[in-house]
Amino acid sequence: MTKQWNSETIEILLAAQGIRLAPGRAEKIANALNAATVSGSLPLEFESDPTSYVLALERCKAK
Amino acid sequence: MSDPASLSLAAAAQALRERRISSRELADACLARIARWQPRINAFISVEQDAANEGVPLAHKDMFYRKGRVSNCGSRIRRGWVARETSTALLRLDAAGMLQIGTLNMAEFAYGPTGHNDHWGDCRNPWNPEYIPGGSSSGSGAAVAARLVFGALGSDTGGSVRIPAAACGVSGLKTTWGRVSRHGAMPLSHSLDTIGPLARSAEDCALLLAAIAGHDPLDPVSSREPYVGKISNSGFRIAISTAWIERNVEPEVAAAVLAAAGALRSGGAQLLEAAPPDFATLSAHCITVMQAEASAQHARWMRERPGDYSSAVRARLESGFAVPAAAYLEALRLRGTWLERFCATTLSAADFYLLPAMKIRVPTLEQTGARGGADMPALLGEVTRLTRWVNYLGVPALVIPCGFDSRGLPIGLQLVGRPFAEAILLAAGHAFQRETDWHQRVPVS
Repeated sequence: MTKQWNSETIEILLAAQGIRLAPGRAEKIANALNAATVSGSLPLEFESDPTSYVLALERCKAK
Repeated sequence: MSDPASLSLAAAAQALRERRISSRELADACLARIARWQPRINAFISVEQDAANEGVPLAHKDMFYRKGRVSNCGSRIRRGWVARETSTALLRLDAAGMLQIGTLNMAEFAYGPTGHNDHWGDCRNPWNPEYIPGGSSSGSGAAVAARLVFGALGSDTGGSVRIPAAACGVSGLKTTWGRVSRHGAMPLSHSLDTIGPLARSAEDCALLLAAIAGHDPLDPVSSREPYVGKISNSGFRIAISTAWIERNVEPEVAAAVLAAAGALRSGGAQLLEAAPPDFATLSAHCITVMQAEASAQHARWMRERPGDYSSAVRARLESGFAVPAAAYLEALRLRGTWLERFCATTLSAADFYLLPAMKIRVPTLEQTGARGGADMPALLGEVTRLTRWVNYLGVPALVIPCGFDSRGLPIGLQLVGRPFAEAILLAAGHAFQRETDWHQRVPVS
């Protein structure tokens, strides 16, 4: 699905968090978000959570 | 003795132990060089002329807190802020006989890869002040390269130790996430932040790492993994993506890096061709995590005083407020799987992966600053293209100089290892530096 970020949605999103954007920034952020792609994603196990990274560090260390 | 400031950290420490030189003589030699170089490169934020303690003179990025002293963090917002406690890394260096003689310039809140700083003045490359020193540990790279101190601490969240090391021609170690306590160091992105040394050689980096590594109850993610500093230094198995380097890296950089790989092979290492990691995807995940965490860290100041940030850092922080929470958490959930894939595929049977620190030659301050034009954002992306992915995986990486380009700017070699394999990287760097003299070249003021 094509992403639909635009300057208005960015302004609303940041204003809701109390952030005042510098002039001209909303459009740049929207363009960057629409252009951002992650091409090589891996299958994500349903059970994985961010803390599983610590276990991976342990498993991957040099023996 | 010739200029004491020309000694390595290892040699200076030994001379001090054997009372062949005094701490005052070492400090005076450094202070004389600082007086000569500071107007040219703006590496220092503060200089301590009459340090009372004894030790080998170091200075650190202006984000490591020392009780009762100012840490400006490269910013206007924290200008004059006095720390209430001392960072664990500084306490450990004090205990190891090191002396802090100043604080060093850095990117505002460590959030920039070039060395620009609107509040404290740009730091400049000692090899040529028109060029970037790299960031965010800009002063650390520049001060070590110009032999103003024997070593310095930096922090690395997306390349902030390694890019200055590469651009300034010094050795810099990005440590495994959790290897060094971050207590008392300014945070940027807690999932990615690491602390590491910049010094004149891999051997000097090893001495500093031995001092600062280890568990700290004040940093709950600091590891209990022991640091064993001595590794046999021959017979390394090195993964390399030769064809990728030839196709994607600027020719002068590629030639120097491939020549370095050849030198390591001549010294007994085995080169193993490997598919490169998915740099683009790993970098994208790194950016997602960094932006979300940095913006959350700065949320209060971004609401209350956004005008006190430079326009570049404010823009980076604004972007983070638009990162969807689900995207941030998905990047973190994928992190362990990507790490295991890197170790199983790119590294496979190798001890470490060899690649350039930067795929391009060192750019100028003008090219990468506000007047850089339409190409500037893409150029900044090129500067960090080969470093950010390492922070996402959380693994260690050593950068050492491996040549100079036709303009006289340094070229950096990067060795990326498994988690907690710093000693292997440092041993390989030391082996390389015993056979080459790139790390001994000094810029002329």
